[in-house]
Amino acid sequence: MLAVDFEKRLGPFELRPRFAAAEELVVLFGPSGAGKSLTLRAIAGLLKPDRGRIELPSGVVFDSDARIDLPPQARDVGYVVQELALFPHLTVAENLGFALGAWPREQVRARLGELVEMLGLQGLEKRLPGAISGGQQQRVALGRALAAKPPVLLLDEPFSALDAPLRSTLRREVASLRRQLGLTAVFVTHDLQEAFALADRIAVYDEGRVLQLGDRREVFSSPASVRVAELLDTRNILPGRVLESSEAFLVIETEHFLARARADARYKPGDAVALCIRPEHVIILRRDRPHANSLDTTLDVELVDEVASGNSHRIYLKAPGTDCLLEADISAHPYDVMGIGKQREWRVALTLEYAIAVPL
Amino acid sequence: MAAAVKLQPATTRLAVGIGAAFAPLTLIFVAFVAVPLLALGWRALESGELQDNITSDLVVDAMRLSAITSTIALVLALLFGTPVAYLLARRSFPGKAALDLLVDLPIVLPPTVAGVALLVAFGRRGVLGQHLDALGLDVAFTTVAVVLAQTFVSAPFYIRAVKAGFESVSPEYEGVAATLGAGPLRIFWKITLPLAWPSVVAGAILCWARALSELGATLVFAGNFSGRTQTMPLAIIGVFDAGRSINVAIALAVILVLAAAALLLLLRVVASTAARGPV
Repeated sequence: MLAVDFEKRLGPFELRPRFAAAEELVVLFGPSGAGKSLTLRAIAGLLKPDRGRIELPSGVVFDSDARIDLPPQARDVGYVVQELALFPHLTVAENLGFALGAWPREQVRARLGELVEMLGLQGLEKRLPGAISGGQQQRVALGRALAAKPPVLLLDEPFSALDAPLRSTLRREVASLRRQLGLTAVFVTHDLQEAFALADRIAVYDEGRVLQLGDRREVFSSPASVRVAELLDTRNILPGRVLESSEAFLVIETEHFLARARADARYKPGDAVALCIRPEHVIILRRDRPHANSLDTTLDVELVDEVASGNSHRIYLKAPGTDCLLEADISAHPYDVMGIGKQREWRVALTLEYAIAVPL
Repeated sequence: MAAAVKLQPATTRLAVGIGAAFAPLTLIFVAFVAVPLLALGWRALESGELQDNITSDLVVDAMRLSAITSTIALVLALLFGTPVAYLLARRSFPGKAALDLLVDLPIVLPPTVAGVALLVAFGRRGVLGQHLDALGLDVAFTTVAVVLAQTFVSAPFYIRAVKAGFESVSPEYEGVAATLGAGPLRIFWKITLPLAWPSVVAGAILCWARALSELGATLVFAGNFSGRTQTMPLAIIGVFDAGRSINVAIALAVILVLAAAALLLLLRVVASTAARGPV
């Protein structure tokens, strides 16, 4: 079990993270400057909290009340930093074996063999880090951190300098390595895609605090606050209030229209909420075709703008006579088949399952 | 990884024009520096006494003393200067700015001032010297004084260079090394020092060169006694004072010029290897 609960003041910035992780991969997600990297440094022992407690699977490593503060050397944590910090004057093998200084020579050799095989670094053992590719450098950094078999792996945006295809390959490798080795891993990123691709659970960071911690799907489908919804790039966030709350659905009155949203017993009529729906859950329909699910909210809209991004299009839609702008994502194929760009008049359906109320 | 693109300076008409205008001034300066040095070499060869002078007792003694004292001064600078440089580069502590200033001060101080200061501290009736004297230890006007004077004026060159070297090593390396279980000394020897190595070597060369050429502080604090405190620069002064042949001074000068040129060349080599990346 990894449990973090501490306070650290750095000038005007106050870091107060709180989360726990079992044998799983927890992503610390949030904007730059939210305190994610500082949290990793504190776990690794490179930043001393003012107060609080940090517990690792091996035991308590920091506890201000009990005056425990283990040095980084004694924490048994694998730490991969954003710049990797591969020792440039040491070979790949020397980097990988750096943590094995106290091991008997034979065991070091065997462990190096394992690491090289596990990470596919065969033939690069004698190279210097400057003479291998970016992806290989990532693997060496990962191998160096894992060499002494720590139960905890901390990763601080390790792939941010790589191109997209390589990133997704390495993400899969990290996730499968973690499962294979049974590690508790904490992964910092400000990239939503990366967070979603990797996380078993997500801790959403903002201004030094964890706003929400939960299962990946749960966080995406039920943001705890409007701020979390914003950070998760929900795009369509419409302030309003609850008119009706039943077991089947909520009725929310926004500034521009009435909408049905997913049932949520927490709310009663009159509560101030925001209606949130992600762009990928806004469904575009022809006006002349009836929509199958009659509980979904449908609206007639006009297409006002669009931005293509490779395999999908982001469509900007306006309800006529209002300044309410909705954003919808549609994949390239249906976009072409429906001829979305060729006319302005469309209808959208806000799927009941994905239109949710978030407390204001 | 992509190699860094090297930009060639553009040879524009404007640049050519400026070069032509500056050429006469450059030539005058080159002549100003080169003529005395060449004259030195020419006179040394022309006199026909160079070999005799180089093997004379005075010159041999001065060379031996210079070699020994400047090497000890360098070792002292390495021993005490390296920790000072590390603390200045890495840590913040009360009085850091003052320490930084203090370390640099001997660089801009006239060496004779350094000599007087050392004398006031370590002389027989000096602040520390009177206690040493009570123990039967004499410092001023001994070979020890030569070493102290050289260390005083030359160590700052080493400290400055190595401090910059340590600053250029990202603390992230040290942090990561610590999470990999390395203790402070292992981190320093295996990571920080090797990465700062080109600066260490460059600083050591500068320091040694400065110690070798030390004159003013030594003259005031250690005096000019043949075989005991008379290093090569002092021996040159001694030649004039004693009214001996200028050819002896020329021989000493030629040796010093060659030593200085060799050190400078070494420094260039180190700098160019450093530019290619850490060893």
